[in-house]
Amino acid sequence: MIEILLILFAPIIGGFIYGFERVVRARMQNRQGPPLLQPFYDMFKLIDKQAFIVNPYHTILGIMHFITLWVVVAFIIMGQNLLYVIFLHLLSSIFLILAGFSVKSIYSHIGSNRELLAALAYEPILIMIAVGFFMVNGSFDIAVIREHDASIASLFLLFLAYLMVMPIKLKKSPFDATEAHQEIVGGVEIEFSGIFFEFLYMAKWLEYIFVYLLLMLFAGDNIFLGIGLFIGVFLLLNLIDNATARIKMKHLIKIVLSLGLTLGMCNLIGLAYV
Amino acid sequence: MFDLKKYRKKSPWILHYNAGSCNGCDIEILASLAPKYDLERFGVINTGNPKQSDIFLVTGPVTYRSRERLVELYTQMPEPKVVIAVGSCTCTGGVFRDMYNVEDGIDRYIPVDVYIAGCAVSPELIIDGVVKALEILEKKSKEMEKALKLFKEATSENGVINRRNVALKVGEVHEEN
Amino acid sequence: MTTYTLLIAAPLFFALVVMVSGVVIRNIFAIAFVIGLSFLSISNIFVFHAPTETILPHFFHNLFILLDGMVLLFFLWQGVKTKNSLVKIFALFQIVLYVVVLLLSPTLISNDVLIDEISSVMYLIINIVGGIIIVYALKYIESEEFSRAKKNGFIAMLFFFLSVMNFIVSTNNIEIFFLLFELTTLCSYILIGYRGDEMSVLNAQKALWMNQIGGVAILVALIFSILQYKTVYFDVLIANIDAFYLLPIVFLAIAAFVKGASIPFDKWLLGAMIAPTPVSAILHSATMVKIAPYLMLKLAPAMSGFVSLTITLLGTFVFFAASLLALGKDYFKEILGYSTIALLGLMMALAAIGTPEAIVACLTLIVFHAISKALLFLQAGILEKSFHLKYVNDIDGLINNSPLVVFFIIVGFASLTIPPFGAFIAKFMAIETIASEIIKNPLYVFALIFLALGSAFLTLLYFKVVTKLFVKDVETKTVDIKISKFYTIPSYLLLILLVVGIYISFELELLSSLEIIVPLFLVAIVPLLFALILFKKADRVKEYNCGEKDDIQLNMYYFHMPSVIKKDIAIIAVVGMCILILGVLL
Ligand code: SF4
Repeated sequence: MIEILLILFAPIIGGFIYGFERVVRARMQNRQGPPLLQPFYDMFKLIDKQAFIVNPYHTILGIMHFITLWVVVAFIIMGQNLLYVIFLHLLSSIFLILAGFSVKSIYSHIGSNRELLAALAYEPILIMIAVGFFMVNGSFDIAVIREHDASIASLFLLFLAYLMVMPIKLKKSPFDATEAHQEIVGGVEIEFSGIFFEFLYMAKWLEYIFVYLLLMLFAGDNIFLGIGLFIGVFLLLNLIDNATARIKMKHLIKIVLSLGLTLGMCNLIGLAYV
Repeated sequence: MFDLKKYRKKSPWILHYNAGSCNGCDIEILASLAPKYDLERFGVINTGNPKQSDIFLVTGPVTYRSRERLVELYTQMPEPKVVIAVGSCTCTGGVFRDMYNVEDGIDRYIPVDVYIAGCAVSPELIIDGVVKALEILEKKSKEMEKALKLFKEATSENGVINRRNVALKVGEVHEEN
Repeated sequence: MTTYTLLIAAPLFFALVVMVSGVVIRNIFAIAFVIGLSFLSISNIFVFHAPTETILPHFFHNLFILLDGMVLLFFLWQGVKTKNSLVKIFALFQIVLYVVVLLLSPTLISNDVLIDEISSVMYLIINIVGGIIIVYALKYIESEEFSRAKKNGFIAMLFFFLSVMNFIVSTNNIEIFFLLFELTTLCSYILIGYRGDEMSVLNAQKALWMNQIGGVAILVALIFSILQYKTVYFDVLIANIDAFYLLPIVFLAIAAFVKGASIPFDKWLLGAMIAPTPVSAILHSATMVKIAPYLMLKLAPAMSGFVSLTITLLGTFVFFAASLLALGKDYFKEILGYSTIALLGLMMALAAIGTPEAIVACLTLIVFHAISKALLFLQAGILEKSFHLKYVNDIDGLINNSPLVVFFIIVGFASLTIPPFGAFIAKFMAIETIASEIIKNPLYVFALIFLALGSAFLTLLYFKVVTKLFVKDVETKTVDIKISKFYTIPSYLLLILLVVGIYISFELELLSSLEIIVPLFLVAIVPLLFALILFKKADRVKEYNCGEKDDIQLNMYYFHMPSVIKKDIAIIAVVGMCILILGVLL
């Protein structure tokens, strides 16, 4: 029962996290910041706006992105196979990328290409993390992982690698070249407007849920550790976001792949020997 | 009933366009978004994307080169939308008035809802203007708003309105000034 | 008369018939034959009980030796005729080795023909997918300007190819295997050089000498096998294998690498692009290259930890490297070619691991790869014939002209990457298998990294291509271009096969129903419903371009691959093979 509720309200919870984050970020910059419910105000406003579309495929693919992401989150909450979840998540990114490429718009294309390259950077690391969980817990099933002890100690290097993946997915500095807010005007999101942009906006909230749910897996059955991890990483990410500048896509791939793969490799080899 | 209209003023997203200003007012706009004046506490985001914004902040007297872009950006904004002319030169031409290459104010091209005078305007005034604009925004309908020049009627096909080519290129129509 | 004899003899017989008949009769006969072959291969699955075993009479052995001699002499003659020293050298080398093999006398005798589950699956691919491609080729070859006899010869050659392939997956005798291996080389040599122009001939020769390396490797393996184990039979060899004397296995594996066009032997498969498209289709999907994973699957039980690890690493490395190299390509068929090389690398890696899951994953990949690649190559042919397009960058906005072809291409690529299609399942299982191998041997981590990176690159590659198809603005009017039924029907058939494949993988419980149905439903249906409701109120608007009004031209992204990388990759692959041989020798 609680699972179903969680799944149904996942975007809303994500919205709260997002709203809270905006407040936290503002406070870190010594500003007051928007109200906590700001994302929902945005949502209602977007529903009320006149809707524009560029072409039907573009819009449908955008909605597909949102739905797939929701399915991904649902599968995590239901405790399905982690590897499958990661691939399904890749599928959702692919929908977004296709949407970006399906319009004749420069920024959309640049954004999509960057999204694709970013997927290239984080996908192998996510797979390695899944394998790490498999080696520790003997199963890819999230339900099983949740029943085991916290694996953060034995997967510490992978955890560090995951910390590098998170800013990419959440579009945070220094790894936010995919969205690059003013530089390429939001990249893939640019051609969406009104209620159709709302789907993308909510997809962003779901991305928060996805990323933090994966993070909590490191805590296994220890709920307090999970919440602690969530809060700690949440603050850390926002601190880094405020304190660093955006780096180029090329550097993003190099840094994330080289560092992430090395960390992952060391961790997995270590696990195999222990 | 659950009224969506009241959320319009809670989340105004801004598109900022420089139609040939001296950059004085642009800097003030950025100042009003920065921590000291913190426009974000009203939910304002500077999107830079016409398709997702509600408020069109324009600075500058509209140079010849920027006419088309002004109208194009305006038509790409979904209704309801408001236009704020920031700075004296945007309202009337200001210090640039009657120069050979400017158009003396954006209201020759697009309907303006709020005029903010001052050369340069202060951030307080900008915030005041935005808040005024929000009141207007709340009352607006979703009817298509049209630019005054360089604009033609939208065609509709099977009940779908096609706005793709409503903003015209400068050469495409005969203009009398 | 057993099924396999029919499967081998029928296409052979038909290849003779087709040479003399007219177009209509030829087409009717061909389609009838393809249907017949497909039914035979399917029925073979259902009537299959125990492995079929046969010892061929002595007469056949002599016949095979005669044929072998003829083929090798033919190669030598071709080498002399075209003054290609590599072809000559390898042909001579093979003749010498073959004579040595004939002089040695193996004592342990076993069955010449042995049909197990793997063979049955291979029959399915060869006959059904290969058959569909032949149906397609019937029309395709008509649009080329060749003489009637040459066109008939083309179809006959394809049938002959099917026959050889059917035989090669049934045989248990390495000597016969060698003969058939050489025959496929011969077939590909003729088919690649079919157009007869300079490029074709050059590429055909390249294919010839590279494949002869495989022949040499088999002969060396045969010599070692006879000397040490006194046998020329796969099953006896594998049953008696001594973990300290794996040379025959390793050389056979190298032959597989050659046939599978693994880096550094990739040039011949890419050169094969020059031939008419059905040839590429049949080489890449149903025949020829599939010998490689098949051979690996056969050898898997005999591999020691070291050999299996090295081959897995090599295979996954090829998977990674080929997908990396493909990123810089623009020629549609070349992109497909590289992705074939990559996936073959993965198949061989999986086969080498040899656990039951790995074998299932490998077979799934073989089957689905065959279907998807056939589908994609057929579309490549349609693009060339109906739209005169060869380069990906030119297929801009194809959706305005032919939504059907776009649909097929997208399904083709999607079936190689995303759930619920088989290739996805295979990759999924591959990661699971490698993950459980890492626990036993940490070096498999590298295989995992190669696999993860490679699959990310491949996704990037496929969707780079797919995106090109989509671009559409509302103003461009849709112009339908008629495509011949002969082209579309085979594509539809392959599509049906894909769906059947999903159903079967569902039955076999490779994935749970939740994992297949739910996403499919949600992802496809719900957005459409949303869209239908919401589109009515939406206005069409122009793309954001900073307010500029000028037209823009968008091109595809390219990823620059310096030639140093290419060289490095080849060197690493060669070093890997050397390590494989040296490791076994020591
Ligand atoms: S109003 Fe004055 S300060 Fe502002 S842009 Fe115009 S000229 Fe510059």
